[in-house]
Amino acid sequence: MRDALFMGRMTASATHELQNILATIRESSGLMDDLLAMGSEGFAHAERFKKGLGVLAEQVERGMILTEQLNFCAHAPEKCPAGADINEAVRALVGLSRRHAARRRTTLVLAPGRSGLRTSLRAVEVMDAVGAVLEAALDVLPMGTQLMLSVEEQGGLGVVRLDSPGFEALRQAPAWSELVALAKALGIGLTAGPANMGVVLALPRPAA
Amino acid sequence: MNAKDWKILLVDDEREFITTLAERLELRGIPARVAFDGESALEAIAAEEPHVVVLDVLMPGIKGLEVLERVKRTNPLVQVLLLTGHGSTRDGIEGMRLGAYDYMMKPLNIDTLIEKMESAIDYAKKAATLPGKSDGQ
Repeated sequence: MRDALFMGRMTASATHELQNILATIRESSGLMDDLLAMGSEGFAHAERFKKGLGVLAEQVERGMILTEQLNFCAHAPEKCPAGADINEAVRALVGLSRRHAARRRTTLVLAPGRSGLRTSLRAVEVMDAVGAVLEAALDVLPMGTQLMLSVEEQGGLGVVRLDSPGFEALRQAPAWSELVALAKALGIGLTAGPANMGVVLALPRPAA
Repeated sequence: MNAKDWKILLVDDEREFITTLAERLELRGIPARVAFDGESALEAIAAEEPHVVVLDVLMPGIKGLEVLERVKRTNPLVQVLLLTGHGSTRDGIEGMRLGAYDYMMKPLNIDTLIEKMESAIDYAKKAATLPGKSDGQ
């Protein structure tokens, strides 16, 4: 755990620096946009210039989302007295896993979750458990699948659902017993979803 | 008050960021001074008493929240907008408790920043006219 906390501190510091870099790029491209708006007559490449500034703005937005998720990861090993916010942890995990899923031609969809739902686990443990199920699922689900993740409350517990046709194959794969063992070690209930269409992780409730 | 009469101080150790932001405000007719650390920010505040200080919370030397605390003790009508990052949102909330007018996350939207500056200046004007009230928020 000590090494995870150390890496977290390093990553948090780097995300802060990245955020400053993005802020500087946004202001500099904003200044170019301002100057262009003040008068571009006679500038033959004004439209191409504007298009380039638009691309810069889009990439800054993309970078901001990524640094936010990375910063969440950096703080994920820390113990939060109120418990980890399940929706935030799953949102960061899905954001950072999209590229990996895309290589398997799988689209990850995060359903609008109930915010404020917490568990006694640390955020890194939520991400580890859900991430392990996600990775195992990507190995067995057919390419081109859409995998829906959702966070909801069931019987007073925070629950993460992964829904997609084809999950039966995961429960029959050798990885399933490892997932069951990991879940058990974290106090997570790991069961088949409704109509055998997915997997449900029931997370331990936060301490009162 | 016309925007050209606003006195704005921008404080951040990210020099390129803060000087470019000042330039963009000036293009919009808003004069802005810059400081690159907490010490020179405090000197500029004592000398010029700006209407609004836009203050980064994470700087080397005197931290943003300490600058805020000192400003609120010595120049309570100066309104402070804090700049925070993903890892320093808690500082923004703590800053509000210490008397900051508001906080914003970097990267900034300049139009939102200007709106917040205007609103902070209006707030300070109203606070200054209240009998026996001279402590901003």
